[in-house]
Amino acid sequence: MSEVATTLTTKQMNRRISFKSFGEFALRWLLVPLILIGAGTGFAVYIITHTTDFIVKDFLTYDRLIAAGLEHIKLVLVSSFLAIAFSLPMGIIISRPRFKRLEKWVVGITNVGQTVPSIAILGLFMGFFGLGFKTAIFALWLYALLPILRNTLAGIRSVNPGIIQAAHGMGMHPMRILFKIELPLALKVIMGGIRTAVVINVGTAALATFIGAGGFGDLIVTGLKLSRMEILLTGAVSTALLAILADYLLSHVEAKLISYGD
Amino acid sequence: MTKKAKVLTLSLILALLMSAGSVLAKEPIDVGSKNFTEQLILGKMLVIYLDHHGYDVVDRTGLSGTQATRTALESGEIDVYWEYTGTAWLVALKHDQAITDSQLVYNKVKAEDAQKNDLIWLDMAKFNNTYTLMMRRDEAEKLGIKTLSDLAAHVRKNPKAIKFGTDHEFYARPDGFPALEKLYNFRFDRGNVIIMDAGLTYKALRDGQVDVSMGFATDGRIAAFDLVNMIDDKKFFPVYNPAPVVRKEILDQYPELADLLNKIGPKLDTETMTRLNYEVDIEGKTPEEVAENFLKEAGLI
Repeated sequence: MSEVATTLTTKQMNRRISFKSFGEFALRWLLVPLILIGAGTGFAVYIITHTTDFIVKDFLTYDRLIAAGLEHIKLVLVSSFLAIAFSLPMGIIISRPRFKRLEKWVVGITNVGQTVPSIAILGLFMGFFGLGFKTAIFALWLYALLPILRNTLAGIRSVNPGIIQAAHGMGMHPMRILFKIELPLALKVIMGGIRTAVVINVGTAALATFIGAGGFGDLIVTGLKLSRMEILLTGAVSTALLAILADYLLSHVEAKLISYGD
Repeated sequence: MTKKAKVLTLSLILALLMSAGSVLAKEPIDVGSKNFTEQLILGKMLVIYLDHHGYDVVDRTGLSGTQATRTALESGEIDVYWEYTGTAWLVALKHDQAITDSQLVYNKVKAEDAQKNDLIWLDMAKFNNTYTLMMRRDEAEKLGIKTLSDLAAHVRKNPKAIKFGTDHEFYARPDGFPALEKLYNFRFDRGNVIIMDAGLTYKALRDGQVDVSMGFATDGRIAAFDLVNMIDDKKFFPVYNPAPVVRKEILDQYPELADLLNKIGPKLDTETMTRLNYEVDIEGKTPEEVAENFLKEAGLI
């Protein structure tokens, strides 16, 4: 009897724990995003249903909003992913002592990329990649490189050399030191760089409209050109909420990754 | 005198001088313009012309789009710039139904601005900078498209074949893209409509990234890039002429200004304006020298 009772309580406990963590999961991952998406949608619906201006009515449709949102998200996702895929390995490579002399070149080049105004990059590379998606992705990619590269380097460099020496002393392989010690300890700084890059990209992607790549910039510029604040605000508010959403989700990815390390 | 007294006297004198100066000297005239070629040329024209006639002019041309320039005029940061009647009606005065009669829309904006905003519309210039739809010459000839009706028929048959480049304003204006499609009874596939900056539509068309582009009829790049304007056989594109818009306060201060400025408009017909735009966009001259040369040729300075 007592055995059965114990099993039951353990089961119940397990269930309680899993329920509790699901509730927590929902709260952590879904609540804030839902509030943000709800706020954006509510704003747009309010504007669309309350406007009396025919120009606003014709231009601001649900179809267009959804299309612009998807275009915007696609621009940010693809460019940020490519930037991480380049900057993270590059940062690791130039943090190795034997590739140190590459650092000033790589950082210098990404620095220059950062200093050219984004609109100029769009104009410059339109000749190579044509109108639209590819040029926009290239420009956004270039913009996201520096924060990620810089933070990867800084994060790895901030690891206490004593720890690495100790690991060497224990006979750990350099690869193992990188993955088990350097990267986990640098993670917070690296994620900081990625978050900065993604948030910047959400804002910069609004410029893609000038070269025909769509996104929320379509709304912002049209609103500006026709002095229809309803259109402009819908675009601007959506962009801002998307930036907050991206940062929020990444902060949770960061927390998750760091807790794995523990 | 003590040091304190000296400072006091000095600042008193300074204050007196300054207040006297502001009463005696008339306000300088701040000339504005939007930031595309034709507007820069027109703006510089006003600057040079007024300067030549002995006015104290501040050059604030090249501000930005309609919105910024118009706001600057309403708030008194600039005193005069050239505005197009149709744009003022829809964008600045925020009406949402287009008027396509050139004289009627002029009369309407003139009346409304004078009454509501203390802004005076001087006489219209002869040229009109209306929208146009363009194609590359070779492709237009190959497809046998000369008029907008030809284009509409072609798009009706192959809705996915033609890519259309437009700027944001034309795309959303009630007298722009939506009305054009309605009148000529065709519809571009929405995935084939690419919205971009107004300055890029010519280049995008030349480079084959789109097949049809919207542009401005007086732009020099149409000839230079070997593009053709399609004939507007149903007379869709409204005629919008530009005119100098001046703050009433300034006209009250300089009553002779209206007559002086009204001398420029009649010398500017569509061919002349197209040529001036061409000289800047294609020949690489500055808007300033093009404006000055024109004023000299026309005998205005």
